[in-house]
Amino acid sequence: MSGKVIVITSGKGGVGKTTASANIGVALAQTGVSVAMVDMDIGLRNLDILMGLENRVVYNLVDVVEERCKLRQALVKDKRLPNLCLLPAAQTRDKTAVNAEQMKKLCGELKELFDYVLVDSPAGIESGFQNSVAGAEEAVIVTTPEMSAVRDADRIIGLLEARKDEIQQYRLVLNRLRPGMVRTNDMMSVEDVLEILSVKLLGVVPEDEQIIVSTNKGEPVAGTDNTRAGLAFRNIARRLRGEDVPLMDLDELNQGWLSRMVRFFAPARA
Amino acid sequence: MEELKVQVLNWFFHRKNESTRTKAKDRMRLMLIHDRLELPADRLASLEEELVAVVCRYFEIDRETTRFDLQQYERRAALIANFPLLRSKC
Repeated sequence: MSGKVIVITSGKGGVGKTTASANIGVALAQTGVSVAMVDMDIGLRNLDILMGLENRVVYNLVDVVEERCKLRQALVKDKRLPNLCLLPAAQTRDKTAVNAEQMKKLCGELKELFDYVLVDSPAGIESGFQNSVAGAEEAVIVTTPEMSAVRDADRIIGLLEARKDEIQQYRLVLNRLRPGMVRTNDMMSVEDVLEILSVKLLGVVPEDEQIIVSTNKGEPVAGTDNTRAGLAFRNIARRLRGEDVPLMDLDELNQGWLSRMVRFFAPARA
Repeated sequence: MEELKVQVLNWFFHRKNESTRTKAKDRMRLMLIHDRLELPADRLASLEEELVAVVCRYFEIDRETTRFDLQQYERRAALIANFPLLRSKC
């Protein structure tokens, strides 16, 4: 088997990179392929929490690299999806614990075992990011429609462009979009951000309170049927697999006749 | 239609008809051009000054309608300079 290594990155912290990783991982696994998620945020490990797997972590990425355990021993199986695994980050080490060469080797081994390897990169553009990208052939850039996040995403795009030989494709996930604010011209739209960054779109995820609820439970929203963000992440997973899935119509969400009336008379709160 | 509706409602509720979305987009665009070129903020102004000085050695130009700015094409930037010429200095 030779799987595909995809790095999930953002530049800026707090835009939903780890949430996106967890949800894309779950959504991909739900389509039937095998998926390994690698938490590269060494020292600030969080992917295990979002997946609800924090109590099952025994070994970690650094243990594997430093040969204290076998790769298979460190992989934590998901609670619901048997074809989904997590390779947790070390919590007590720092970003220098794994270098680019070691990462390439690790990704090479994981590719033999899984259809998809998702690498959750740390924030920033320093060594942690560079090492996360080392073994990847595709990148997903996560940003929100805020100026600081878009600026940092642009920096990341510049750095990925410089690695054109390895990174064959990169696409954008626009996270936490608020359609109501776009409608009242108080937030940059999908088109605005794409025009500014000149980048291909992988998907749009609307702001959804269910993300917080799902994090509390340790069950990514992509696993539950009736959430907007969950549907958005499932669409993203299908696009990663090469399917042509149209963007969901964000304006049509929650538009019963009553909410349309409310929106018409109170656009500022919509 | 959607925009018209927003404008009508803005007028109705005396809201300031100033789109922060457009403002953000314009600021973003200019900022990223500078970022990508690693161009300090005052650099462009000094280039304009020098170019104008050179052109002025040959022509009298209309400073009112002189245009000098950066535009984005995909991920590249272009310098657009437009010096309307009034007469040559011979």
